[in-house]
Amino acid sequence: MAVFFQSLLSGILIGGVYALIGIGLTLIFGVMRVINFAHGDIMMIGMYLTYILFTFAGIDPFVSVLISFPLMFIFGGLLQKVFINRVLDALAQNQILLTIGLGLIMSNAMMLIFTSDYKILTTSYSSSTIKVGGGVSLSTPLVVSFLITAAITAALYWFLMKTDTGQAIRATAQDREAAQLMGINVKRMSILAFGLGAALAGAAGALISPTYYIFPQVGSVFTLKAFVITVLGGMGSVVGATLGGILIGITESMGAVYISSGWKDVVVFVLFLLVLLFKPAGLMGKSRT
Amino acid sequence: MRKHLLALGATLALSPCLMGQKIGVINSMSGPEAPIGENISNGIKLAEQDLKAKGIHIQLVWEDDTGKPQISMSALEKLATRENVVGVVGPYTSACSNAVAKLAEKYRVPLLIPAAAKEEITRQGFKNVFRMNAPADKYASSLIDAAVSLGKPKTIAFIYENTDFGTSTSKTAKAYVATKGLQVVADVSYPKGSADYRSTLAQIKSKNPDLVFMVSYVADAILLMRQSREVGLRPQAFLGAGAGFTTTEFAKEHAISENVISCTQWTDDVNWPGAKAFGQRYKAAYGKNPTYHAACAYASMMIMGETAYHANGDRAKTRDGLKAGKWNGVMGEVKFADYDGFTNQNNHQMLVQQIQKGNYETVLPAAFATKKPVYPFPNWK
Repeated sequence: MAVFFQSLLSGILIGGVYALIGIGLTLIFGVMRVINFAHGDIMMIGMYLTYILFTFAGIDPFVSVLISFPLMFIFGGLLQKVFINRVLDALAQNQILLTIGLGLIMSNAMMLIFTSDYKILTTSYSSSTIKVGGGVSLSTPLVVSFLITAAITAALYWFLMKTDTGQAIRATAQDREAAQLMGINVKRMSILAFGLGAALAGAAGALISPTYYIFPQVGSVFTLKAFVITVLGGMGSVVGATLGGILIGITESMGAVYISSGWKDVVVFVLFLLVLLFKPAGLMGKSRT
Repeated sequence: MRKHLLALGATLALSPCLMGQKIGVINSMSGPEAPIGENISNGIKLAEQDLKAKGIHIQLVWEDDTGKPQISMSALEKLATRENVVGVVGPYTSACSNAVAKLAEKYRVPLLIPAAAKEEITRQGFKNVFRMNAPADKYASSLIDAAVSLGKPKTIAFIYENTDFGTSTSKTAKAYVATKGLQVVADVSYPKGSADYRSTLAQIKSKNPDLVFMVSYVADAILLMRQSREVGLRPQAFLGAGAGFTTTEFAKEHAISENVISCTQWTDDVNWPGAKAFGQRYKAAYGKNPTYHAACAYASMMIMGETAYHANGDRAKTRDGLKAGKWNGVMGEVKFADYDGFTNQNNHQMLVQQIQKGNYETVLPAAFATKKPVYPFPNWK
């Protein structure tokens, strides 16, 4: 039973970080209808940013979210303004090629600067745990990052639901042309959305750094995961992505224990296919006409 | 003018004697294996100096195989036919060594392989191929022997990455534990680069194994040990086979690497003659600590140089000299013997080391050890 709860809780905690990556991707897709294949690489940049801040300035990875969040927001906004805005009306495959290309440039630039060696952040609490009882223990950094994830998600939800800008972003997501006719600056909303998406990915990178390792190609693992989460939750749905992330976390964790850790990705993708088969629009998605 | 030419001709004809015996070196000096290759090159350079001090002049012909078997093969052909070397030391990787071994046999050039692990290389009955280091099966068996000699483990859990390296090492280990009467209670392979091994480790913990045997590279080794600590996995011993558990990066992670047992071909604190001095000299000359590859390469070149010198540059005599000889140096006792299906294989004693206070300390076999092993694994701090 301890094994069951251990894997359930570990799955939920790691799923929280997955959710943060998924929310960023879903936000970008919702507003722009662009699938950002550079998402994992943006997260990787966030990880290196955390690494630099920690190694050279001694800033704790969790505190550094305060710095990397706005920096990644600016980075994402720039990407949108300079590159993505230009292909918004282009064919979908051109948009995909552009984002893949951007991702390649990012990972190779990082490889040039930092080489392909693995970097490990060792904080004083990297391997500390919280005992829950019943033989179950939780990783302290993962618990902290889960709490921060929850806070960020709640703040984002509030921003999108309650503020004027949030409403404008949602309006742009619902119908770009109608939003424009109502006087919303959709280009600006796009920059905001991409900036937010990048900032969320960067934050996820910062939050996972104390427990994971960093290398230039780490992005591809998470791009695929983010994609699965987004589709699973319903493209464009923030709540869906949150649920999707946690669901994937739990599935991986349980799959590793009750089937085989070598097969855990297969378990995830079988679940993914089943959801698509029975609920093609995703868990929280509304089918589009 | 004619006189000068004659003199020049005479000098050229005599030069092999003046320059000493020609010995070839094939090594991965560039390419992905270059960091290890550097250790091998440095070890050979130190051997060259020491041979010179002994009055043995050798002339080294360096070939870079960039870690690719086909380049390694053409390098050997060049050394054997054009350079007419007496013997060859190298190459580094198993793939290159295996390819080159067949050619060395064909050209009858004595080949001394310093540090390639693949068992098959010296299992093909080649008369001209010699190997210094212990082959891969020794890694698993020396670790398990160490644990069995220290305590009374009954059960063992395996966790390894699902690559060729991980599965083949653990396969040899599983076959070996069967002969020792240990029961395998968990056998888990994992895909490299997962963020979360906690559930797998919790499952292993529930089986309560006496030994945990891991095969991983650096980054995963650190993650696995961190998360073992998180879930409170506490066997009698953590046995780390493979690359990830024998690096300084791993040792630096005090909280999680302390008391982990691993094995290696050589350490700089082993009491083999000259081992400590070699470590210090290497550090003084190149500014970093040598890996076991450096010591293997150094010992190989010393042996090849001396043998080629005494054989007066004759390949067949050099081969017989290698086969008959017996040495004792930085690598301990060296003798190229035929046993267990191996030919010309040095039955090298693997060293078992344990991380104590952040340093790798040789703990077994007792005859060569400088520190006492900590067993069973104490509680996590």
